[in-house]
Amino acid sequence: MAEAAPPRRGFLVRLAAAAGVAPPALGVIEGRALAASRDEGTDVAILHGALALENQALALYDLGLRRGLFPTGLRSYAVEFRGDHLGHRDTQVALSRERGAEPPEPLADYGFGSLPAGDAMVRAALQAEQAAQAAYASLISQIRSRDYLLSAGFILVDEVRHTTVWRRVLGLKIY
Amino acid sequence: MKALALLPAAALQPVVAEATDYADAADVFSAIDRLEADVDARLRAIAREQPAAREFAQSVLEDGERHRRRRGQLRRRLGLAPAPEPTRPTSPDRTLEGLRSALEALAYAHAEGLPALGDPHAVDVLAHDMIDVSRQRTVVDLWISLEADRG
Repeated sequence: MAEAAPPRRGFLVRLAAAAGVAPPALGVIEGRALAASRDEGTDVAILHGALALENQALALYDLGLRRGLFPTGLRSYAVEFRGDHLGHRDTQVALSRERGAEPPEPLADYGFGSLPAGDAMVRAALQAEQAAQAAYASLISQIRSRDYLLSAGFILVDEVRHTTVWRRVLGLKIY
Repeated sequence: MKALALLPAAALQPVVAEATDYADAADVFSAIDRLEADVDARLRAIAREQPAAREFAQSVLEDGERHRRRRGQLRRRLGLAPAPEPTRPTSPDRTLEGLRSALEALAYAHAEGLPALGDPHAVDVLAHDMIDVSRQRTVVDLWISLEADRG
């Protein structure tokens, strides 16, 4: 099986943009630092960027599970990871609303097209997970508030688990 | 330390709601040092008994050494005293389940410590170390599953 390189920043930015991630969170993923004075608005921008990626991941897992595209032996992982993303979404929706913001809705169409079953579905899930892991890893140091920083830390732990499992399943290097 | 009570009640996983609330960066680094020493001792014990585990153990131990160096740099940056020599358990548990639990505790200590650091650079460093530990925990998870499948 061909080696999949770690996601390049350009690929990640395209994936994040397709998921609906808006500036300034998209700017951080592109490598631009946020303004030095981080405030509640920065946290809301990051929350909404993260929610866009969570919604995209959920849509992908929903599609894969509904159409039976995950290999049979791996379906339990897909169910587990979908559940994690639901928790990430709900947590961040609650944090956004606590700050008086209106969290973004999922997009009507993510352009997944006709995803093939089997390894191709797992690869699509891996790409979504790599994008989420890279986004949280890029954005976490910009978070100002203690409650969101704590949640983002635990979310990042989950994203690494998802990425590591799919890489192992696909026979890709983990280290 | 006390349970963190800052979080909204709805939609949070128990692991987040029951997180440890560290007082400051020194408190965080001290907890991580202690948990990392536990992981190291377990790994060394497992590697002594299972030659197949040695390559993985060596990789994790090297990651731990790099993380300790980085925490040392953060201590200096934040004006904290150097880390004391870690005390290692003399006869650690040698099960994979024990190692998995120890790695999970270490990963969670990183996550729980982020809000206490008060420094974006320190958050960035610790978050990236946490990624390594979470990956190691998952590898052990998969290893346990493989062993179970083999019966």
